[in-house]
Amino acid sequence: MPILHNLAMRPIRAWLPALVFCAAIHTARGDWILSTSAALNHDNNLGNAQNAASVVADSRAQANGSVLQQILWDDGLSLSAGGDLSGELYDHFSALNNASIEGSLSLKKKWGLGAFAPWIRAGIAVGRVEYDDRYRDATLYSASLEAGQRLDERWDLWAKYAFDSRRAAPAESDLYGVPSDVFSQRGQSFKVGVQYSSSERMRLTLGSLVRHGDVISTTQPSAGIFAYSKAVAPDPTFGPDAYAYRLVGTTFGARLGLEYSLTTHSLIGLGFQRLDTHARGGINYGDSMPELTWNYQF
Amino acid sequence: MKLKKITAAVGLIVGCAALAHSAELHVTVKDQKGKNVEDAVVLAVAADPRNAQRSKPPLGAVDQVDKQFVPYVKPIFVGSTVRFPNSDNIRHQVYSFSPAKKFELPLYAGTNAPPVIFDKPGVVVLGCNIHDWMVGYIYVAETPFFAKTGPLGTASISDLPPGEYRVRIWHPNMDRAEETTNRRIMVGAEPVAAAEWQIDLKASIRVPRVSGAASPSYP
Repeated sequence: MPILHNLAMRPIRAWLPALVFCAAIHTARGDWILSTSAALNHDNNLGNAQNAASVVADSRAQANGSVLQQILWDDGLSLSAGGDLSGELYDHFSALNNASIEGSLSLKKKWGLGAFAPWIRAGIAVGRVEYDDRYRDATLYSASLEAGQRLDERWDLWAKYAFDSRRAAPAESDLYGVPSDVFSQRGQSFKVGVQYSSSERMRLTLGSLVRHGDVISTTQPSAGIFAYSKAVAPDPTFGPDAYAYRLVGTTFGARLGLEYSLTTHSLIGLGFQRLDTHARGGINYGDSMPELTWNYQF
Repeated sequence: MKLKKITAAVGLIVGCAALAHSAELHVTVKDQKGKNVEDAVVLAVAADPRNAQRSKPPLGAVDQVDKQFVPYVKPIFVGSTVRFPNSDNIRHQVYSFSPAKKFELPLYAGTNAPPVIFDKPGVVVLGCNIHDWMVGYIYVAETPFFAKTGPLGTASISDLPPGEYRVRIWHPNMDRAEETTNRRIMVGAEPVAAAEWQIDLKASIRVPRVSGAASPSYP
């Protein structure tokens, strides 16, 4: 399977430094944290198209494994270093199947003892994602600052600011003189979340997001969107006449989730996410995604 | 040497005689729905203080297994010393803010944490500063006569000198003050006295252990 090839072979250059990094951290005497997750979701506007004729939907399965090495100090300071291995399989748009690997480093400070002490965390991450269609392949960079506090056993609050950057090679294009690095993006986002435990096993999570930066919309050729695009390139994954346009836009999002603890180590969840993007030139599109999730923490 | 042997023999006889006259209190605890209540502490306070005399409290232990306190509820006699071994292959930082005992054990692995003396009666809530979902309870009893209910909701306090006792129940999720469960029970007329309690439990809410994708507080 191409995705297995992606997973094992192509990011091999990224594996080696990650392993060396983990080995170096391990010598500093840390605690291992292992977790895994999976999700099934349906995206009703996969290409982020505005025009109804260009809107396509698909379902996908996602899986993720994460390993972290955490170094702790008595004063509430902790350093976490680790890696994530993820994969996505699409039902119809198999060219979007992808595998990714990411290494992360974060420093967390908790003020005080106990579950209700406020905390803050700064982190950076570097990753690589490779798709079956190849031209979406990109190197991922992100930096984030998070803060949160559990108010009591029922209520938990947090907020996160993140800068994200995605660097992809320019796509092959027949549009001379027009930048074609359409899959390179940068943006900044701010998220807030609140979780309410209605019982020992059931939790309700509400999150909202604002992101400003580059967005990609794949649609049929249009002079209207072309005029406001920073880069344009053919996107044959969505059909022979489809083009991907990189625009500057602001995305507003909300996610509602219901989680149920199956065991002390695992939970399942139902979620619904809605994203609305407003890009320059009146290019607006929406995206809804119901999902079923599963998490396991060792 | 001979005198020592005689003293020991007399002591043994007196001890056996006392045991022969001691009784057992068998308690069943159910909740408002009639379900067996596990981890309820049953305490019997002797009306006659002479009946409460007991030897030096034994050493207790609260372990940490799979990032949980084991046992979840540990009743001890006031003045007892408790060790906190860590059977996990990661480190824990055990603490308590409870008025009955405030303490903190700095990050440690294995069995090298110093034992803690609990010299004041009351409930001590245990936590781990690294793993927020970890919670455990030490009930420091002012009486040497106590027991904890098992999965069947039953507990037995043995070796009770005959006499009158004030018996009460405590549970981490109890909806009312434990004093409201107080009863006077006479022990000694029969070898085994039995009593049943019904207590109101509120829903238990604990910090979740597994974080979903949207909740980033751990690690």
